[in-house]
Amino acid sequence: MGKLRLQDLTRGGKIRIGLLALALILPFLPFVTDYVLHIAILVLLYMILSLGLNIVPGFNGLLDLGYVGFYGIGAYTSGLLTYHFGLSFWVIIPLAFINGAIWGILLGAPTLRLTGDYFAIVTFGFSELVVLLLTNEIWLTRGPLGLPGIDVVSIDLTLFGGPKWEFIGELPYYYLAIVMVLVTVFVMYRIQDSRLGRAWFAIRDDEVAAVSCGINLLAYKVIAFAISAAFGAVGGSFFARWVTFLSPDMFKFWESFLILCMIVLGGMGNIWGVMIGAVVLVSLSEVLREILPVLGLPVQVRFLAFGLIMVLMMRFRPAGIMPIPAVAAKMRAGRVKRKKVKPAVGIKK
Amino acid sequence: MLLELDNVKTYYGNIRALKGISIEVDKDEIVCLIGGNGAGKSTTLMTISGVLTPVEGDVLYKGQSIVSVRPDNIVRMGVCQVPEGRMIFPLLTVMENLDLGAYLRKDKDGINEDIDRVFGIFPVLRERRKQHGGTLSGGEQQMLAIARALMSRPNLLLLDEPSLGLAPILVDSIFETIRQINEQGTTILLVEQNAQLALQFSRRGYVIETGEIALSDTSAELLNNEEVKKAYLGE
Repeated sequence: MGKLRLQDLTRGGKIRIGLLALALILPFLPFVTDYVLHIAILVLLYMILSLGLNIVPGFNGLLDLGYVGFYGIGAYTSGLLTYHFGLSFWVIIPLAFINGAIWGILLGAPTLRLTGDYFAIVTFGFSELVVLLLTNEIWLTRGPLGLPGIDVVSIDLTLFGGPKWEFIGELPYYYLAIVMVLVTVFVMYRIQDSRLGRAWFAIRDDEVAAVSCGINLLAYKVIAFAISAAFGAVGGSFFARWVTFLSPDMFKFWESFLILCMIVLGGMGNIWGVMIGAVVLVSLSEVLREILPVLGLPVQVRFLAFGLIMVLMMRFRPAGIMPIPAVAAKMRAGRVKRKKVKPAVGIKK
Repeated sequence: MLLELDNVKTYYGNIRALKGISIEVDKDEIVCLIGGNGAGKSTTLMTISGVLTPVEGDVLYKGQSIVSVRPDNIVRMGVCQVPEGRMIFPLLTVMENLDLGAYLRKDKDGINEDIDRVFGIFPVLRERRKQHGGTLSGGEQQMLAIARALMSRPNLLLLDEPSLGLAPILVDSIFETIRQINEQGTTILLVEQNAQLALQFSRRGYVIETGEIALSDTSAELLNNEEVKKAYLGE
């Protein structure tokens, strides 16, 4: 038993190293065009976003329908700071993180007293508010005209007499996104194994029992919401400097829904599962974008396809592609019970 | 007096669940609260632990009012509740459940000592320590719920229906354990539908009916009381 587990662990490690190596050499593979690389960056971006969102529904068991609001705040934080003050991306990242967290606290502190669906509705309202604000506060955001010509990311060493590299093309952004995903995953694992994570899991499992252990529900939920929002904002600030154009309709409710689907499909609460969910849905979305016009269908039909996938998943794999171990064990237990009936009949024969 | 409830009234919206409850619990006692469904037993415990806030009246712990204290701080003060229905953390392992019980404590050595202690009280939990809470049997979950509460080293343990849904043979051993925990220096306020058992194991008892205290006496007297016999003991 012990030996087997050790082997499993090394196999898991091998898979991880293999995947990382594959990701690192991906741009140099023969079939990889700029378009493929673009989608790969999109996948990485959505990994960051879904890992960030995962904290709230996956770790705390709270439904958050307004995540895109923080994504939008992060994107515009980055866009405006670049546009007006020409700040460097490396300065903006921590600022966006902090700004996201502040908005997370501002929204979370008064509303996290609400339970279940009521909280979900408030978050939904929040994301709609953000879009309205971005659309209507023209003096700040230029409204529906959008924010064009945001500087690309650059590494500027001229201050120290060095050269200045501008990120042109998809390749540097691809590696930047990989680094950001690695950092996010590292932080998520650290949180998951910390006291903070333990308290969140307690809240997810049972709030009254969590209170009986002396856990301050509101405080821990607000922390969760703030960290989640901060990662959403970081994702947004990357997005702004990558596409170099922002407009309010990029941050509509559908984005929240899509990111939530990634988490649910991948396996709520499971860091690897959530990343798999992002890979599956982003690539599927792009494939459908190519296929649907060929079939004479509008591109929007892909949302119908997502709905279908969610229905199929609920029927055949309700806990997601890769659920957290405890849930996986529960599902296995259920399956074993059903199987046990058959041999009993066989013996009778 | 360790705990004193003075004319406590708790409402759920317009529904008056507690209409003025006064209870006293002395140090090192086992006190039980018996009554039918919906009499207000659990509401009383929830009010003490701070999950519910009373509209009127006062809850004094060690002579200090705790009605406006946050529930997590009440745990910090040494009052720990085992909620009704074996509310353990089903997706966390037995060990993780116990660690969470000691969430407010920083003394690693003391925590390990107490884990050994609760494993001594409930040996089956040691065997199951890597299992997820949700995969335990009903009796084991109840043991885990009590063990988790003990991990906070409470002065006052609030037990809500520890016999609920357990096999009769397990009920006796759970109550034996409750007595043992009490003898090791934890005061216990016990809420039970199984009046017979609760009165056997406690020193004093309160009978609660529709949000009010109907009777209070030593448990021995209550066991012989004609009204209690008729209404709760089925004699």
